[in-house]
Amino acid sequence: MSNVTFDADGITLERVREYVWEIPPEGDMRAPARVFASEALLEEIKEDKTLEQIKNTTHLPGITNYAICMPDGHQGYGFPVGGVGAIDAEDGCISPGSVGYDINCGVRMMRTNLTYDDLQGREEELVDSLFTNIPSGLGGGGIVESGVDTVEEILERGVDWALENGHAVEGDLLHCEDEGVRAGADADKISQKAKDRGKNQIGSLGSGNHFLEVQRVTDVFDEEVGAAFGLEKDQIVVLIHCGSRGLGHQTCNDYLRKIEQQHQGLLDQLPDKELAAAPAGSQLAEDYYGAMNAAINFAWVNRQLIMHRTRQVFERVFDRPWEEMEMELLYDVAHNIAKKETHTVGGEDRELYVHRKGATRAFPAGHPDVPNAYRDVGQPVIIPGSMGAGSYVLRGGENSMDLTFGSTAHGAGRLMSRTQAKNEYWGGDVQDALEEQDRIYVKAQSGATIAEEAPGVYKDVDEVVRISDALGIGDKVARTFPICNIKG
Amino acid sequence: MRYELCDHTADIAVAATGDSLESAFAAVANGLAAASCDEFEDAGGERFSVAVDAESREALLFDYLDELIYRRDIRGELPVDHRVDAVSGPGSGTGERSDTGTDEWSLEASARGVPLTEIDAREIKAVTYSEMRLERVDGGWEAYVVFDV
Repeated sequence: MSNVTFDADGITLERVREYVWEIPPEGDMRAPARVFASEALLEEIKEDKTLEQIKNTTHLPGITNYAICMPDGHQGYGFPVGGVGAIDAEDGCISPGSVGYDINCGVRMMRTNLTYDDLQGREEELVDSLFTNIPSGLGGGGIVESGVDTVEEILERGVDWALENGHAVEGDLLHCEDEGVRAGADADKISQKAKDRGKNQIGSLGSGNHFLEVQRVTDVFDEEVGAAFGLEKDQIVVLIHCGSRGLGHQTCNDYLRKIEQQHQGLLDQLPDKELAAAPAGSQLAEDYYGAMNAAINFAWVNRQLIMHRTRQVFERVFDRPWEEMEMELLYDVAHNIAKKETHTVGGEDRELYVHRKGATRAFPAGHPDVPNAYRDVGQPVIIPGSMGAGSYVLRGGENSMDLTFGSTAHGAGRLMSRTQAKNEYWGGDVQDALEEQDRIYVKAQSGATIAEEAPGVYKDVDEVVRISDALGIGDKVARTFPICNIKG
Repeated sequence: MRYELCDHTADIAVAATGDSLESAFAAVANGLAAASCDEFEDAGGERFSVAVDAESREALLFDYLDELIYRRDIRGELPVDHRVDAVSGPGSGTGERSDTGTDEWSLEASARGVPLTEIDAREIKAVTYSEMRLERVDGGWEAYVVFDV
């Protein structure tokens, strides 16, 4: 091993090999931390508290091999965004703060058989219709507004509920992780407060960095895998990014508070209270896992309803049935989640709670948990970029199980704070520039959101994806570029 | 009583001061409102009351802010113009965790609810414990709270 180091203002990283950096254990760190990044990305990562936060993550009992920071890593709360922590499910813990507030925040991509030519000239009509028909922003309601009993059914049954109620077709389930129904979901472990928040938000984007985008495929880097994913150049696709809304946010906080009240001893060992964890095997760990799985189902249904509504909007705008436009789900990936998974550690199979916060599962070809439709090529991974830079579709790389517990990055990663963004950009200017220069039509509830999500506030998604590809944890398949974007 | 919105890469932080615990709590809550919405009318909307119990001073601040976010979603209103009438706890506000168990701290407050349909507001997802500080300083209290956006 070479002894190249990178000095990040007081934290020294040792180069393990190209694009792999390690912070050796010191003090109460239970394991090293590893950062998967180029030096260019490290220069950005070192600017905030990301590295301190990934070091803190190694204090969680049961952390296995090393805590991981992805190339798009940035400062979050407690656990950094772009973090992966694989934690022993027998002797370790499960950490709600390390999953994050927006449980099963994630992205799904829907294919169409339309091409860019079919859409040109109708962008404004489409963006207006999407914006009118898909609830977004604060207090915008949901596609379905109903009682707590419906929320409970959704929590237990996931996308099966949507299928039964006319918001999905069979194929949607077959192209979603876990077929859209998370086993072990327990609606009784979700509080009344969380259900009350959720009942008016079923099928809604929310605000912040969540969005729906109509995109065109600009590049297919791997023809064989692209064909397996049904992607070709100039094709129109739809990308949806959102999560479990207030229900998930409330669930996270409910459990953080319970941990504080019941497991103060473990909490006292952790350098940031937001890393709060329930010891594996405790009642609270079981309860949280049941609640989190239920919230995962809620988020899947949320994205499903938005996708199905999008089909109806396309039907109206293009005056033909959605089936004729072959509007089919390509895949749905979560990027805020903890899943009990079996991984090989030191030659032995171990059950781990793999916490991915702002990180995406990226299982390779042949893995039994990859849906049948993609088992031969690897799991699709969807990496949304900023609204000016486009997004990527990857497939789980063959090195992901060895290097990153089957994970890769989740997006571009923020570079600039929201307050700074609002000082540097004005929403209207950003919107005009995108339309005039890039022919991207943006519609948002709030001009401030457009400023805060301006392309310049994000890291270079090309560089993030280049590192994922070079490491073989997530391989480039295709690239897309936005046409219409709606947000909160 | 004053607050300031602070830089945070992905989220937003509020730094607040007050000459009493009550005013520091209200200042953080007003910071939360400001982080949610740049401009709202000085009048209009009805006031509603908020009561919270918790086992420590920090937990009380956390639960108060969590309750405000919950009320926002349930009522469809952004809570603004916060007043905290009373914060009471064991040991005259020493802030130590009480020996006798939970719910030793309590708060009584109120806020004005501005209908979300009337304003350009964005969603603050949640209050966090990350880097939270609530400290006595010369002349009052200082608080620092990171919110998830």
